[in-house]
Amino acid sequence: MHLEDYKIIDLFLERSEQAITELDRKYGAAVKKTAANILRNRQDAEEIADDTYLGVWNTIPPQKPDPLVSYVCRIARNLALNRYYANHAAKRNGNYDLVLDELEECIPSGINLETEYEAKELSEAINRFLATLPGEDRILFVRRYWYACPVSELAAMTGSSPNRISVRLFRIRGKLKKQLTREGFLP
Amino acid sequence: MNRELLSKAFGEIDDRFIAEAVYLPAGDASASPERKHMKTKRILTLALAAALILSLGIAGFAAWSIHSSRQQELRTDLKIEEGKPESYVEFPVADADANTAGVVLLSAINDGQEERIYLNVSPVAEEKLARFPEEARFFCMIEGTEYGGFAAPKLPAKLSLSGQDEIRKAVKEYSYDSETQTLTLEAYLMTDVLKKAMQELGTERIPLQVNMAVGEETLCFGKILFSPTEEQHRFFDFGHARYYDRELDKEIEILGLKLTPFSAEWIVHYEEDAKGHTPGADPGKYSSWYLLEDKVCIEAKLHFSDGSTFSTGGAVATPYQDGAVHQHCSWGSAIDIEDVQRITLGDLTLWERASESNFIQ
Repeated sequence: MHLEDYKIIDLFLERSEQAITELDRKYGAAVKKTAANILRNRQDAEEIADDTYLGVWNTIPPQKPDPLVSYVCRIARNLALNRYYANHAAKRNGNYDLVLDELEECIPSGINLETEYEAKELSEAINRFLATLPGEDRILFVRRYWYACPVSELAAMTGSSPNRISVRLFRIRGKLKKQLTREGFLP
Repeated sequence: MNRELLSKAFGEIDDRFIAEAVYLPAGDASASPERKHMKTKRILTLALAAALILSLGIAGFAAWSIHSSRQQELRTDLKIEEGKPESYVEFPVADADANTAGVVLLSAINDGQEERIYLNVSPVAEEKLARFPEEARFFCMIEGTEYGGFAAPKLPAKLSLSGQDEIRKAVKEYSYDSETQTLTLEAYLMTDVLKKAMQELGTERIPLQVNMAVGEETLCFGKILFSPTEEQHRFFDFGHARYYDRELDKEIEILGLKLTPFSAEWIVHYEEDAKGHTPGADPGKYSSWYLLEDKVCIEAKLHFSDGSTFSTGGAVATPYQDGAVHQHCSWGSAIDIEDVQRITLGDLTLWERASESNFIQ
């Protein structure tokens, strides 16, 4: 039986080490999966999980995140990406690069995305787009491009073939590109 | 483009989308919601109320009333009278269901690829419903199997909504009855999945459990026994019609169209279809072919006897089977598939109903 989020947060606020145990028990699998999808290495994913818990420990308090799961996964993703970029500084051949290659297709040609401000604008546009997608498409899209889930895993999850999932993601990317263009997301 | 910034931009999406996607569709459906007695009543007419109150009781009447009015709304919204789908099955709402059941089966239709099942679930607390769609979702599980399907509040077919707030507002307005805490859902189960479940369970009566996941909690509304309905379809053979698209400079063969009142399956074939649909194929490489596939289902028109036309819209799935691409499209309101007079794509007439004079000759 897992503790409810607010109880886990209370443990963090009380500086009880039990907080880490409960957090790992409840969200350990999601944290490790998020890291493993990006790094493709179980050992690295375990280390990222430990670093994530430390990150949560250092930020609660003052933070009181709600929902806790996205807060924790976000820290894990950022840490995993930092390690990924360090490991793949000179080459572009990792799993996550495939994800980025696909994401690049969504961006209308002419957008350079060179500043933090542009990234923020794009992020807001993606949020607006996600809110319009049917539930299953949205989950597929976020699982692929945020959690970096392999297509084969998405196929297994939905009882579909990998090819069908690829085509479905391709169509969703096309919709995003169309929406970004329609919103005037051009230089 | 700065790829790290691109990654960062996508990394900054809302927490609600991240939280929603972390959970797998199949959840722990063991917990049950708190049952509350329905205290309120809805009176349509005094005479009817008096008669029904005697037989059903006050609480039962409120629930019965919402079930029966939902059936009428569904008939109207799905254009059942207008579209004449023979495959639409409406289930009688038993008195006992109205009083006690957490799940009431209203109607169902087989659209070829999926069985669409309309249900009322209760009680759905307003504060829990307010967490839909970002923190709450609905799903069905076939008891005794690992199969299931998605469900969502049934909204009018032609409603165009943008953003979570609009969705929430519409759900409250069109799908929810606050008096009885009843929510009308549309559940989707793939017909293939239903067949597999029937084989595994050795029965045609599928035990279907309806659930709501709110945050990390899963509520089970109850279970119904459901027998899959028959599909009504019509097949149009285009005799290997060929369509050339000037813009893309590509030609596609349109073999046929399987039409149901709520869905279409376009069967097309082209030069590189096998390669473009093999596992691991690079979608970018075949993008112009995919665009051409899209053109067929989006730009082709069905012409009806009253002069109106209909487009089947973009495909939601495109499996490659038996040497051809099968493009599956679906929509919300029934069309009268027996009234199709002509099917065209641009200047090309794919099919035309033979006129009476043709028959005589």
